[in-house]
Amino acid sequence: MAGTRTMVIASAALVVAFTLCAAIDPAQDEKFIGKRRNWWAFRKPVRPPVPPVKSAWTRTPIDQFILAALTEKNLSPSPELDRRRLIRRLYLDVTGLPPTPEEVRAFLADRSPDAYTKLVDRLLASPQYGERWALRWLDVVRYADTNGFELDAERRHAWRYRDYVVRAFNEDKPYDRFLKEQIAGDEIWPGNTEALIATGFHRVGPIHLVGGNQDEEMNRQEVLTEMTATIGSAVLGITIGCARCHNHKFDPILQSDYYRLQAFMAATEGKDIEIATADEKAAYEAALKEYKARLKPIKNRIAEIEKPVREKLTNQKKALLEPHLREALDTPEEKRSEEQKKLAKIAKEQIGLSWDEVVNALSEEDRRKRAELRRQMHAIALTEPEPPATAYAVVNMDQAPPTHILKVGDHKQKLDVVEPGFPLVLSNYGVTIPKGPVGRRTALANWLTSPDHPLTARVMVNRIWQLRMGTGLVPTPNDFGMLGTAPTHPALLDWLAVEFIESGWSIKTIDRMILLSSVYRQSSANDPAKAKIDPDNKLYWRANRRRLEAEHLRDSILRTAGTLNLKMGGKPVRVPIEQEVYDLIFSEDEPDNLWPVTPDASEHTRRSLYLLNKRTVRLPLLANFDQPDTMSSCPARPVSTHALQALTLFNSDFMQEQSAAFANRLKRACGDNLSCQVETAYEIALARPPRPVEVAMARKFLNGKGTLADFCLALLNRNEFVYVP
Amino acid sequence: MSHNGKRQPHFLPAASRRDLLRLAANGFGAIALEALLQKTGYGAGAKARVNPLAPKAPHFEAKANAVIFLFMVGGPSHIDTFDPKPTLKKYEGQQLPESFGKVPSQFTNGDTPILASPWTFSRHGECGMEVSTLFPHLAKCVDDICFVRSFYTESVVHAPAMYQVHSGRIFAGHPSLGSWVTYGLGSESENLPAYVVMPQPEGTPEGGTPCWGAGYLPAVYQGTLFRSGSTPIMNLRPPAHMSPERQRATLDLLQEMNELDLDGDSDTELAARIASYELAFRMQSHAPEAVDLSKESEATKRMYGLDRKETAEFGTRCLLARRLVERGVRFIQLYSGGGPVSVQWDAHKDLVQNHEKMAGMTDQPIAALLTDLKQRGLLESTLVIWGSEFGRLPTSQSGNGRDHNPHGFTMWFAGGGTKGGQVIGATDDFGLRAVGERYHMRDFHATILHALGLDQHKLWVLHNGRHEKLTDFGGKVIHQVFG
Repeated sequence: MAGTRTMVIASAALVVAFTLCAAIDPAQDEKFIGKRRNWWAFRKPVRPPVPPVKSAWTRTPIDQFILAALTEKNLSPSPELDRRRLIRRLYLDVTGLPPTPEEVRAFLADRSPDAYTKLVDRLLASPQYGERWALRWLDVVRYADTNGFELDAERRHAWRYRDYVVRAFNEDKPYDRFLKEQIAGDEIWPGNTEALIATGFHRVGPIHLVGGNQDEEMNRQEVLTEMTATIGSAVLGITIGCARCHNHKFDPILQSDYYRLQAFMAATEGKDIEIATADEKAAYEAALKEYKARLKPIKNRIAEIEKPVREKLTNQKKALLEPHLREALDTPEEKRSEEQKKLAKIAKEQIGLSWDEVVNALSEEDRRKRAELRRQMHAIALTEPEPPATAYAVVNMDQAPPTHILKVGDHKQKLDVVEPGFPLVLSNYGVTIPKGPVGRRTALANWLTSPDHPLTARVMVNRIWQLRMGTGLVPTPNDFGMLGTAPTHPALLDWLAVEFIESGWSIKTIDRMILLSSVYRQSSANDPAKAKIDPDNKLYWRANRRRLEAEHLRDSILRTAGTLNLKMGGKPVRVPIEQEVYDLIFSEDEPDNLWPVTPDASEHTRRSLYLLNKRTVRLPLLANFDQPDTMSSCPARPVSTHALQALTLFNSDFMQEQSAAFANRLKRACGDNLSCQVETAYEIALARPPRPVEVAMARKFLNGKGTLADFCLALLNRNEFVYVP
Repeated sequence: MSHNGKRQPHFLPAASRRDLLRLAANGFGAIALEALLQKTGYGAGAKARVNPLAPKAPHFEAKANAVIFLFMVGGPSHIDTFDPKPTLKKYEGQQLPESFGKVPSQFTNGDTPILASPWTFSRHGECGMEVSTLFPHLAKCVDDICFVRSFYTESVVHAPAMYQVHSGRIFAGHPSLGSWVTYGLGSESENLPAYVVMPQPEGTPEGGTPCWGAGYLPAVYQGTLFRSGSTPIMNLRPPAHMSPERQRATLDLLQEMNELDLDGDSDTELAARIASYELAFRMQSHAPEAVDLSKESEATKRMYGLDRKETAEFGTRCLLARRLVERGVRFIQLYSGGGPVSVQWDAHKDLVQNHEKMAGMTDQPIAALLTDLKQRGLLESTLVIWGSEFGRLPTSQSGNGRDHNPHGFTMWFAGGGTKGGQVIGATDDFGLRAVGERYHMRDFHATILHALGLDQHKLWVLHNGRHEKLTDFGGKVIHQVFG
């Protein structure tokens, strides 16, 4: 950001109250923390005994914890979901895609007692498992492919971090290793490309890059703020960002704690690091040269067309210059006086031409010719060679600049200097912190992944639970502090956390245990009598019915229509967008190539995870269904229901195309056999045959005004399709 | 959404059964919904779950129930429009006195020569308020306008400053003013979006969509883009090949199927989806009606400047704003400027050419909007706001332009319980900085919420462990605005 901010605080009294403790004062600090040191989330989890309740229902220790709590409230679990819905739920949850009819049939045909277990294991091993998990992790670290703010430029190499996350979940990379790579991969495993790419973690948030005057110190502070907040929300599950301006209002987190944490990153700066081989680089240079040579003649022809108009407009503007400005401009550069040098600069600014001035002054014929040439230029631009492989990563500076506590977070109001250190409410778990710039992040990563750390494991098992059950055992997954919501099942949380660490931080182990549990397999149907006792289903007497996340709704539509391209990874895809959306892309430049659609149309039906995620321009289908805006960490997506969703899901070109494709798929399978079409449509979209009443509805519709594509459209809009059973 | 047993204040307000039925009226879904809710004995809050935009009571008596925010993209110069500074004439061509210190802006540092206003100011109305010759039409409305000349903001750069005036912070990702207002009050309209955004056709403001984004509020509270023409809302109409009858038949099939899914389910989330399709269907007919200007009189169209090339486009949007207010839309955000520099108020060079063009496009339409609202008795309940992300410096850039000035600038209010014909606050003799009683964007927001009967401290949402509010830790309501 350019210039400076005048940070003026309206309520002076409030500020004083918050900043009294800004400087370091051990006695005051200890008093501030006080008894809150004993807050449950700051004490190491100890494996509690599994409640001794056993029944035919309890399959896993998880079920025993759940059943014990239910029994205490005179509640009982809901019946198990029927097998068709169960497989549909499992597929949508684990892969973000519905099962195919063949997969459903195979599962139904497998009557062995471990049929479900085999299915779970197969899905945990499928590549889509990592894609599903990546979506959640990227929400938490607020990943996007662009910088945000007005220019919102694309980060050409950020996607390698996205793919790294997919791989990590698929490989069941131990969570401690996963964190170490992201926080300090460059320090701990120098020369390891994968670990280097992982450090993109520190850079995936928004950053303000703009021309003009720059306050470098403020820019730097903003970068550090982003890095520190992410460690807090994503890993620690503590809203440490709240302590940037003052001691935390609710938790025993000092303002100095915040800056001590920030100091771990004091020497860290973003850097794009080439990871290509010499041959790859040479090939790129050659391709680039050839590419530029192809562009050049077209650029020249455009310049030729513009030349007379540019000259004419410049002369007109020159004639309007004040005489002393014109005189300065007309004076040869080497003969200009100091004053004239300044004046000539102003004169040049005044006679400068913007693209629209030039275009508006062209003859209609020339404008047409020029537009055609620009089209050719943009077509060639689509063939621009890919730059050599590069990690969107971080490095350490030679020196770590001192970290100051900042009064009200203002970089101009520096208070005491702090060294990197852990929040005083927690201990150091035997980790020592080096003095120099290198190794600070290693120390931070080692501390976070210490088996003694009370938060890291709890926060992650809670995210696993949340992903599978719809809500976390701590319903505020980024906040285990005092303003967060207390765990519904504290003993289960601790049991899972200990199990997680002892399993070698294996996410799949915990995930598998949850997916195999009886509590996961329950029906989501309501029971008014039970709802009276526990209306919010805090005790999990039924499964929570969940709407598909925006990306999975789109993916499921593609899968159902038979158009989904399952290709994994690679640079983000630009799908065609509506003119209204195109118009939202901010640019002061000529707006004729702001969204170069990926040329290969088969890429347009890739999974939503791989679509270009642009911070200031969201795809309506996704944004309307509560896709997060990637500006801050999103621990749990809101679910809103409104008319624009209906308009998008009913009328958009995308939906029309996909319902037509779905209809064609049915015609290929069934010809004109209406019963077969309806039957097959239900099997594909909802993993079940239609009920007689549904067949009747469909028949009436298809024999009346409706086409098969309309029928498909209705099915894709149906609640049962949009919700996980 | 609950937190420690305490509901977030605006997710689930109380509802009456009558309202609920009204909400789902006219359409296939209505009967289904009624039956469902009777059968299951929904509690308070069911309506809000069915329609999160159902009208909600304010915290205290409101002065205004709708807002039109006229946003001038790029930073119009306060000292050339509503804040005359004769001193600049005296110092023309000189530097700012040293006592002002360094004044870093985006491109200049306050050390360029002072540029006096190329326009003259004269007094208008009974109040004798001074307006420059840039706004001859608006000058006639000054008795209805309350000018606040001492606003200031935190960033010298467009996007952060835009985020601040729209959402209270210099970073994107916080809910915009219109989102907070619809979160707090819902909508009076059952057939149109609650929060409508009409950008400049040439392009979007620099801050882009986060300017009307819902941030961490649910997507239902985001601004809806609205355009003139027969399809004002994206995807409003079915594709050309689909007849209305066929569409209705498809919708009926969907609703019948959705009803099956409801069976035996007492929660209203799925009923909400049924209602949302009915609302969407009604929107298909009501939104085109709202933007159909054929029933407006020729006199009205002339008043808004629809007969002149210069004013026709912005005039159309101002007229649409009035029509939307009439139809119960809660919050309308209207942008003058966006896209290329030549269509923004961002006069880094050639101030005269730029401001005459931009004022020429907007002066008559804005005056017409105020006059029209007043004639129809709507101005009393409609808060009209004119403003931007910042003002401009008294010093020059490129000789004949001005750089950004966040230190002091003017915005104004009209209607909605505000007292016209008054000036609040001041900048120094050079128009550089707000002096005396200065107002931050938090104060701007606190004042707007106050006009709508919303208590800035009660309008919050829990996000990542913070009670997030539009005014963060609070702004001061500028009570003087209301007389």
